Amino acid sequence: MFFGQYLLSRGVISREVLIEAIERQRETNLSLVELAVREGCIEPQRAEGILTRYRTTDAGLEELCLEYGQIDREKLDELLRIQRSDWVKIGAALIDRGHLNRDQVEEHLAAFEELQDEANQQLEADFRACKDPETVKKVIELAVFHLQRFTNGPVKLQTLTADGGGLSSGRRRYAQKLVGDRQLCCALDLPSQVATVVAQGFIGIPVEDDSDVAIDAVCECVNIIGGHACTELEASGFRLRPEPPFSTKGDEPAGELGPSIRARVMAGEFEVDVRVFV
Amino acid sequence: MAKWRVMTVDDSAAILTIIAAYLEDSEFEVIASERDGVMAVERFAQERPDIVLLDLIMPGQSGVETLERILAIDPDAFVVIVSSLGTEDAVHECLTSGARSFLQKPFTRDDFIDFMRDLTQVA
Repeated sequence: MFFGQYLLSRGVISREVLIEAIERQRETNLSLVELAVREGCIEPQRAEGILTRYRTTDAGLEELCLEYGQIDREKLDELLRIQRSDWVKIGAALIDRGHLNRDQVEEHLAAFEELQDEANQQLEADFRACKDPETVKKVIELAVFHLQRFTNGPVKLQTLTADGGGLSSGRRRYAQKLVGDRQLCCALDLPSQVATVVAQGFIGIPVEDDSDVAIDAVCECVNIIGGHACTELEASGFRLRPEPPFSTKGDEPAGELGPSIRARVMAGEFEVDVRVFV
Repeated sequence: MAKWRVMTVDDSAAILTIIAAYLEDSEFEVIASERDGVMAVERFAQERPDIVLLDLIMPGQSGVETLERILAIDPDAFVVIVSSLGTEDAVHECLTSGARSFLQKPFTRDDFIDFMRDLTQVA
């Protein structure tokens, strides 16, 4: 959960106020690449190349700006200073618009951070309690990492629960079985809006919601998550191999693999599920 | 100068689209794309491309099986495996089965073009 969502869920602010604050952030909070373009340090065409590279590799944005943006370390530090000084947090946006005062923001923020600490401790405990915790954690962490890259937005793991594995209505499941030393299945249950953003982030061209191209592209993203999970788990002595990814809108594709671990993940304003059937 | 003739094989239409876009306006020309291993072998026999970019994990006939059938037609075929899987086991199996190289997905256009240009030094 993000701070704005916390304030909304506690009834501190209304939905309209949160939208207004987020829009204020969007006006002022530029990514490093956007800022570099605004400051005339990077050409827009080159910036697009850097963002593509960011979405499709494991490299960090700072590292990519240095390597492909033709800027030096000094310029990068200056951009980071500007970015920090211009950055408006959600609390500051609410104060600016007169919806909350500083004391109220600080009080709620302290309560929110305490809640986040508890939630993180709970997540660690829940991972440890999972059947096959190392595998489950690796798959979920990789899914969150790649979702963040493909959507180019904030993605955050919320909770972890044991679950029967049914697909919620209005969502499509994109899944892949990993077989070998053990058998599991990783799945992304996504509403169509998120699937479209993931697909566009992956292939770099606009796609229609629920089109074959969009479905195929998200399947390929799951394939990348599954393939990388096999590769990284090999270092821990596991021998796993991915099967071809698949997509379904209503069936239970991995029922024979047993119950699932359901990770609720916030991707921007949308809730999505990452599931691991073990 | 003649372009390198490339055949791409992947069950994902998204990956075929990306590779075709990456190779546009380069010294490489995609002359055939297939989403199925069996069809890919037939197409290879007809087209005899200079380079085959072959997915590893596909429904039906796998990438390694497809590789072996292509090499049965032409032992000098230049086949490169392109896969999201990068385990030592997978790389070893592909290379010992006759693949010339291995590229892990995902990749960017620049990385991909660099990789392809490196290939042409040995193809």
